[in-house]
Amino acid sequence: MNEKVTFTVDGKQLEGKQGQLLIEACEDSGIHIPRFCWHKRLDPVGMCRMCLVEIDTPRGKTLVPSCTTQVSEELSVETESDTVKKAQEGVLEFLLINHPLDCPICDKAGECPLQDQTMAYGPGESRFIEEKRHFEKPIPISDIVLLDRERCILCARCTRFSDEISGDPLIEFIQRGNKTQVNTFPDEPFKSYFSGNTVQICPVGALTATSYRFKARPWDLKKVSSTCNCCSLGCSVELNVSQNKMLRILGEDNEFTNQGWLSDKGRYNFEYLHSENRLLNIQSRENEDFQTINISDAIEKIKNKIKDLDNPDIKFIVGANSTNEEYFAINKFANSLNRNEFLSKDKSNVYFADDHIYNGYFSDEYTNATFEDLDTSDAIVVWAEDIKDNLPVLFLRIKKAVKNGVKLVVFGHTNTALESLADHYFGAEIVSNNFELKTSLSNIQELKDIIDSKKVTTIVGKSTPLQKKDSLDTLINHLQKVSDLKIFNCFSRANTFGAIQHIDQIKGLNDFCTEYEDSNKNIVFTIGANPVNSSFFGSKIKDILEDTEYVVSLDIFKNETTELADLILPTTAFGEKEGTITNMEMRVMKQNKILPDPGSTLSEWEYLIMIAQSLGKDINYDSVNQLNSELANQFTMTEALPTFDNLNKPSNLFGILNQKEINLNIKDVDQDSPSLLMVKRLYGDSSTQINSPSISMLGSERFIELSESTLDKYGIKSNVATLTQGSSSIFVNIKLNNLLPDNLVLAPINRRGFEKLDSTKDFDLKETKNMKDLSVN
Amino acid sequence: MSWETDRLEKAKQIIEMYPQKRSALGPLLYLAQDKDGYISNESIVEISGLIGITEVQVQSVASFYSMYKQEPTGKYLLSVCKSISCEISNSTDVINSVKNFTGLSNNETDDKNFFTYESVECIGACGGAPAIQVNYETIEGLTPDKAVDLCKWLKEEEPEIVVADELQDKFGGVKSFDWAIADNNGATSPVPGFQTYDTSKEKK
Amino acid sequence: MKETLLLTKHMRENPEDSHSLKSYEKNGGYKSAKKVLKSGTPEEVLQEIKDSNIRGRGGAGFPTGVKWGFLAEDEERYLVINGDESEPGTFKDRILLERDPHQLIEGMIITCFAANISKAFIYIRGEYAKPARRVQSAIEQAYEKGYLGKKIFGSSMNLDIVVHLGAGAYICGEETALLNSLEGRRGEPRLKPPFFPAVKGLYNKPTLVNNVETISSVPWIMSNSGKDYSSLGVEGSTGTRIFSLSGHINNPGNYEIEMGSSFGEFVDTLGKGVKNKAIKAYIPGGASAPWLRGDQLDVKMTIDDVANEGSMLGSGAVVMMDEDTNLVLAAKSLVSFFAHESCGQCTPCREGTTWLENILERVASGRGRLSDIDLLLDVCDNISPGLTWPPKMTTICPLGPSATASIVSLMKDFRSEVEVLLPKKVVIG
Repeated sequence: MNEKVTFTVDGKQLEGKQGQLLIEACEDSGIHIPRFCWHKRLDPVGMCRMCLVEIDTPRGKTLVPSCTTQVSEELSVETESDTVKKAQEGVLEFLLINHPLDCPICDKAGECPLQDQTMAYGPGESRFIEEKRHFEKPIPISDIVLLDRERCILCARCTRFSDEISGDPLIEFIQRGNKTQVNTFPDEPFKSYFSGNTVQICPVGALTATSYRFKARPWDLKKVSSTCNCCSLGCSVELNVSQNKMLRILGEDNEFTNQGWLSDKGRYNFEYLHSENRLLNIQSRENEDFQTINISDAIEKIKNKIKDLDNPDIKFIVGANSTNEEYFAINKFANSLNRNEFLSKDKSNVYFADDHIYNGYFSDEYTNATFEDLDTSDAIVVWAEDIKDNLPVLFLRIKKAVKNGVKLVVFGHTNTALESLADHYFGAEIVSNNFELKTSLSNIQELKDIIDSKKVTTIVGKSTPLQKKDSLDTLINHLQKVSDLKIFNCFSRANTFGAIQHIDQIKGLNDFCTEYEDSNKNIVFTIGANPVNSSFFGSKIKDILEDTEYVVSLDIFKNETTELADLILPTTAFGEKEGTITNMEMRVMKQNKILPDPGSTLSEWEYLIMIAQSLGKDINYDSVNQLNSELANQFTMTEALPTFDNLNKPSNLFGILNQKEINLNIKDVDQDSPSLLMVKRLYGDSSTQINSPSISMLGSERFIELSESTLDKYGIKSNVATLTQGSSSIFVNIKLNNLLPDNLVLAPINRRGFEKLDSTKDFDLKETKNMKDLSVN
Repeated sequence: MSWETDRLEKAKQIIEMYPQKRSALGPLLYLAQDKDGYISNESIVEISGLIGITEVQVQSVASFYSMYKQEPTGKYLLSVCKSISCEISNSTDVINSVKNFTGLSNNETDDKNFFTYESVECIGACGGAPAIQVNYETIEGLTPDKAVDLCKWLKEEEPEIVVADELQDKFGGVKSFDWAIADNNGATSPVPGFQTYDTSKEKK
Repeated sequence: MKETLLLTKHMRENPEDSHSLKSYEKNGGYKSAKKVLKSGTPEEVLQEIKDSNIRGRGGAGFPTGVKWGFLAEDEERYLVINGDESEPGTFKDRILLERDPHQLIEGMIITCFAANISKAFIYIRGEYAKPARRVQSAIEQAYEKGYLGKKIFGSSMNLDIVVHLGAGAYICGEETALLNSLEGRRGEPRLKPPFFPAVKGLYNKPTLVNNVETISSVPWIMSNSGKDYSSLGVEGSTGTRIFSLSGHINNPGNYEIEMGSSFGEFVDTLGKGVKNKAIKAYIPGGASAPWLRGDQLDVKMTIDDVANEGSMLGSGAVVMMDEDTNLVLAAKSLVSFFAHESCGQCTPCREGTTWLENILERVASGRGRLSDIDLLLDVCDNISPGLTWPPKMTTICPLGPSATASIVSLMKDFRSEVEVLLPKKVVIG
C-alpha cells in the first residue's frame, strides 16, 4: 500500500505515502513540526500534544496531533495558524510550569528539544506563580542511568522504548494525573542491556548517564561518525570528543543496521581509551622484567630473531578488532613471510581467536542475507550462540520483525532469551545436550507449517565452540531444500567478516594447537587477541606460548596473553584509527579517527609494514588510504567499491554492500557431550571493559544457569552454590532457567574465575551455607 | 512464594475467568489487599509471577487507582465524599468532625491501624448528601454529630462485618433512593465486599 | 408531570425482593429474552433498537442502534457494560444494579444474541460493592436456571458474564480507558482512531461498550417495540430516562420520566422545589456540564435543547444550587475533582487542571490577583480552544475540557462573585 497521496500543508502541495504519519511526511518534505513524545522508531501515542496542527474536516477546522494522523488524499493542513500557535504556546507553558530551571546544571542544555522548542514556539514568559512539584533528585535507577523526576515531561519515550523495543519494561509510570512519575520497582533496577538508549531519546535531562554527567557541553564536543566494533552488527555511532578525550558515544539512525539503537556495551565501553593502564610504550622482556625500548630497536630485535632461527614457522593469532586495512596488511605480511616461495593453501599461518569460527556457508549456492530480510521474510530460523548477549541489537531487530508478524523458530539451548518471542522454541525434545538433532527436521510439523515454500532468513552458527557442525549442515540443507533461503553466518565478534574476507585463508585456534605440534622453531604474533583468557583452548595455548621461541604481542592493554610475550607493541584503538570494517551482512562500513595516537602507539599495519621492510620484503604502504584502495579493488562489484572516498559520500554514509571471496579451512571439533556449557556474556572481564569504570562492575557477577530439575539433582535448595572442578572452586549465584535441558549447566566464559574451568571435565555443585565456603579468588 | 495455598487457589480461579491473564490484575490486587490490609511489595512480586508481567508494571497499575492501598490501612476505612452535591450540602462540616474525632488528616492511618481517613470523590450517594463509606459500605444523609457517633460506635463495637443497611438505620438520614429490603451482607476489610473475591460475608 | 416507569417499574412495585430471580420472573421477566432467542433474529433485534432511536445513557448520547451497527465482524467479540458511574451527581445506575440486576442481565442476553457475542463483562466501579454483590448473586441465580452459560433457554447460544470491579478512577468511565482497565492496565484513554471499540476494543477485538441504563432498556423495547419506545419522550430524545436529582432540593432521588418537560417542572413537581429559596444556578447533566442559571429553568430536558443552551444533558444528573451557595467553592470542588481524576497522559489536562485548581484555591482563600480571572480563562482556552460549545480539545479525551466547564460558567454568569474576592483596583490620583 505505497500509493502516493498529495496533500496541502500551509498552502504548499506535498507528496506522501498512503498511511504515512503526517508529522513524518512533513518532515520528509522539510516542514518541521515540533514534538516531544513522537519518535520515528516508536509507535506514536499523541501524549505531549506539541505536534497539534489544524486540519480541515467536514465539521470545520480541528486541532489534531500530527503524529497520530495519517496523510490522505486532499488533506489540508495548517501548521502556523493562530490557533496552532496558541496551542503550541499553551503546551509549552504547561510543560514548563513544573519543569525546574536546571539548565545551568543540566547535561541536556545545548542539545535540548525543550529549550529549542521553547525558544522557537514558546510564549516567552510563564504566568505560573504556584509551587512546582518536587522529587528527590536525581535517583539512580541502575548502575549507569540516573533519573531526575522533576525534569521529566512524561513523554513516555523511555517507558515505551523499554516495553516495545527492548522488551524489558523495568521502568513505568507510577500514580496518575499531576502526580505521575517514572520509576522502577524497589530492588528491581533498570538493568537492561539497552538502558542507554533511553538516555539518548529522552527529550530533556531527566535521564542521564553516569559516564557523561557534568563532563562537557555539546558545543565543546568534536563529533565524527563511525561504526561500533563491539560486535558484527555494524551499529552506526557518533563519537563525541572534547580535549582529545572520548566522552560519549551516541547511536545514529542507520536504516540498514541498528536504526538508532545501541547496546549499553557499545555505548559505554570507551573509557578504556584513556585508562592509565593503556600500553603506551614498546615493552621488551629482559630476563623476567619488561623494559621500554624504541621502535627501531624493537624491529631490529624481531629481524634478528627471525634470522637467528633460520626460517622459522611464523604464526599469527588475530583478534576480531582490527580493521579491514589491518587484516589486509597482516595478510600481505603473512604471505611475504611464508616458508615456501609460493603460497600454497595448506601452509597458511593465520589463526582467528574466536572459538566460534568454523567453515560456515559462503559458497555461491548460498544467498547472504541483509537485516532488511528479517523484516520482509515470512520466517526467521535461529540456531546460533546467544544472540541477546553477543549481538544485542540483532535481538532488537528480530523482536521488531516478530512484532510485525514475521514468524520465529529457535533451536536451543543457547537462545532461551528468544523463547518468549518465538512461535516455536525447540528445546530438549529436539536438540540433545550435545547439540545434535534428535529427530529429522521434516518430521517436525510446526516447522513445516512455518517454513515450507516460504521466504526464510536463518541466523546460523555454532551454539558453542565444541559443537560439531553436522547439525548445522543438516539444518541448512533442509532449509535450502524446502524454502527460499537467505543466510546469516553468525560470527558475532566485531570484524570477523573483515578477517575472513581479507586474509587468504584463516584457521581456528584448534588448528593452531594441532599444527603447532608439527612445527618447530616458532615465532608467534598475537594481534589484538587474548586467547589465553578467552579461548576454550586457553590453557593449551598458554603452554604453547611459553614454549614458543619468540612471542610478539600487538595490543592495547597488558593481559594474560601479553604476559607471555617477549615483545609488546602498543597499538591504536577504536577512534584512533581510520579504516573500514565488514559487518555480518557483508556491508563495508567506515570507522573514523578523532583521537590522536596516544603515547608511542602505532597502528597494527604500521608495525607490520616496517617489520616487513626491515626483512627486505617488497611491501610499500605509506598510508592507510593506500591499503584501502588496494583492498577495495579486490571486491566483486566494481560500481560500489568500498574506498574511503566512496564511503565518505553522503549517500554511502551507512555502508556499502559488496562481495568478496571467502575461503575458510577450519577443522571441525570432535567433542563429547559437555555437561558444563561455557558461554560468553555481554559484560565480562575483557581488558576494555575492566578499564572502563562506568561499566566495569556490570561484568562482575558470577552465576550459573540451570533448570530446576538439574538443581534438584545436586540437592541444592538455596540460590547460591559452590562450583568445584579439580582445584578450582567458585562461589556462584544460581539463575533458574527451566528451558535448559536436564544436566546442562551454563557458565559464563568471560567472568573472572571461570577461565580455569574445562567444560569437558566433570564438575560438582555444592550447597553453600556460610561465609566459610566462599572461595577467595 | 509469599501467598498461602488457598489465596493462590483463589487467584488461579480468578485468572481462569478472563480470556487473558493480565485482566485478572485488578482482582488479584484486591486479594492482596484483603489479606494483608494493603498491597505489600511481596504481593506485587507474587502477582507479577502469576500474571507474567514485571513488578513495576504491576506497581504502575496498583498506584494508578485510588482504591488500591500500598500503605498499611486501618481496620475501618472511612471515606467521606467531597464532590459537588456533598460539598454544597455541608460535607465540609462532616469531614471536619470526622477528622477531629479520629485525629487524622487525609490518607492517614492511626497508630493502632484502626481507622484510616480519606476524602474521596463522588461515591454515587448524591441524593443522600453528605455521605460516607465505611469499608465501601455507604451510609447516606449524615450530619457532623451522627458521623462522630458512627465512629464512636465502630470503636466500641469493632464489628467483624460492616453492613451498610445496619449502619444506615443507626446513623443515616435521607437516602438517595429507596433501599427496599434490608441486606445483611457486608465487608470484612478495607476492600469492596464482593463474593467473587471472598471479601464479603453475611452478618447473621 | 408524572413519572413514566419502564426501567424502575418492577423495583417500585416489588420493593421486598425486586432483585431476586423469582420476583423478576413472576413479574414477566426473561419473557422478552426467551421470545427473542426462540423465534427472533439478530437483524430483527437490531432493527427494533434502531427504530427506538434510543441514545446512549452514559453521557455522550450516541444513538445505540448506530453503535451496534458499527460492530466489526470477528470470531471473538465482547460486550462490556459500563457501570463505572462516577460522574458527580449521578446515581441512577446504582439503583438499576442494586434493585433490578436481572433486567440488565436480560438486556445483555438479548444484546449478545443480536451481536453474536458469547462473553460479556460488567465493569462496576469499586465503590459500588453492594450493587456488585447483588449483580453477582443475580448472575449466579441465572446460571443455575440455565439462563446463562451453555445453550441458554435451550437455544444454541452461549453466554458467560464476568463482573469486574473498578478501583476508584473516574476516567475509567471513558470507554477506551475502561477497556484498558479491564485488560489489567492503567485506565488511560486510547487514541480514536484507530482504537474505536467497535473495531479494536477489548484485547483488540470488536467490542460493544454500553451503559447500564441503555442495556436495561432493551428488554422493554423487545417486549413492546422500538416504535413504542420511540413514541415516548420527544424526537431526538426518545424513551424514558432516570434523572438523579440532588443538591439543594427537598426531594432528592432518582426519577424516571419521559424527556421533554422543563427542568423547572421537574424540580417543582417531582423534586418538590428548593427549601424556600431561589435557585441561583443548576447543573443539568453532571459535573462535566456547564451551569445554567436560575432563570433558565424553562429549558427542556432533552439532549438537543440543553445542547442548544450551551450545556449538556450528559449523565442525567441534576444538581440544584440555591441562592446562598458559594459558587467559587462549588467551582473549586468541581475543578479539584477533575484534577484528581486526570489520568496524566496528555500535557494540557495533566498540568492544566491542577494549575486551575491551584489558582482557584488562591482566589477562594482571598489570595487571588486581579489578573487571575483572565489567567483562569486563558488556561481554560489552552485546554479547550475557543471555549466553544461543543468543546474543542487540545487533549486526548474530553476530561480536560470538562474541567473548564464550571470555570467558564462561573465567569460568564457569576463573575461578580469572583471579583469580590480579588483585591480592589487601586486608582491613584
